[in-house]
Amino acid sequence: MVANAPGPPPRSDTLARSAPLADRPPVSPHSAASARREFLAGSRAVAPVLVGTVPFGFVAGVAAVGAGLTPVQGIALSVFAFSGIAQLVVAQLVAAGSPVVVTLAAALVVSLRFLMYSAALSPYLASLPVRWRAPLAYLMTDQGFAMGVQRYADGEGGGMRHWHVLGVGVTLWITWQASVAAGALAGAQVPAAWSLDFVVTLSFLALLVPAIRSRADLAAATVAGAVVLLAAGLPYRLALVVASLAGIAAGVLVEWRHRR
Amino acid sequence: MTEWIVIVGTGVVTFLTRASFIVFADPRRFPHGMRVALAFVPAAVLAAIVVPGLVSPSGAIDLGLGNPRWIAGLAAIAIALRVRNPLAIIVAGMATLWALQGLAR
Repeated sequence: MVANAPGPPPRSDTLARSAPLADRPPVSPHSAASARREFLAGSRAVAPVLVGTVPFGFVAGVAAVGAGLTPVQGIALSVFAFSGIAQLVVAQLVAAGSPVVVTLAAALVVSLRFLMYSAALSPYLASLPVRWRAPLAYLMTDQGFAMGVQRYADGEGGGMRHWHVLGVGVTLWITWQASVAAGALAGAQVPAAWSLDFVVTLSFLALLVPAIRSRADLAAATVAGAVVLLAAGLPYRLALVVASLAGIAAGVLVEWRHRR
Repeated sequence: MTEWIVIVGTGVVTFLTRASFIVFADPRRFPHGMRVALAFVPAAVLAAIVVPGLVSPSGAIDLGLGNPRWIAGLAAIAIALRVRNPLAIIVAGMATLWALQGLAR
């Protein structure tokens, strides 16, 4: 199982240097068998992650309905966003009656990490047509990104590795949407004492720890964590925005000082 | 109506960030400074999401024994430093939380 666990996000210097060369498009004609094999390999590889996906999706579905959205709106939000933390943040802000612009700005901030994932993954996908790249972008998640980078790094799968990425993404998507729908429809019947919402924190903790690979990463995380607590009084989840920016600045500063 | 604007708008925001480089732009064309900053986005944003969930689950900072979540978080971090499997990390964190909640009762 450990062998299938997602690998770490790329080192912080991966982006700073010139990006790796794009994978060459397959020379041999596409083989349906190897495409299916890659797709199923992706499906299987993501299985250990799903144990966290199910309760997280359930919590997101409950939160949407709890915020005053109808179950249909909660499910629609999930289909449009396909992002647990964006869905939770939006639900909180809708519940608080926040202006639309503020709500979308908060969704943007929690989605900023996708910019980095997108930049890191794009060299591998560059040779694919847009009809592949757009759906793979839509399906990209924290876990899907980590597993995709690992698949391209380990050299297996040849020119069919985008099928692996698709297998991971589709499997996560189906599981996520079913879990959100269950939460939105069956909602508030889970006792609060189960503390299922803690799965959300733990899911991101499982991503955070391997993301810290250098002193500069640690500085970014530490400053962001401290600032988010200090700024907790700010309205509209602005603390998250301020803390993220402060953390990024801290990381850049440490990296620059280290270089000199 | 407002709800639907938020729903579709969130979809647009999340898709555009995901598609930014995969579909629209070449990261090599972007300034070096921006790429350096981008590299710290995951550590910063993820920490800003995780820390309140551990330290101030009900709003105020609580590092006492009345808040088992930071202790469960430490257990999960200890596991996360050894294995990458998210399943093991989540199970360790939830098991610790439930055990502490059971003890408190």
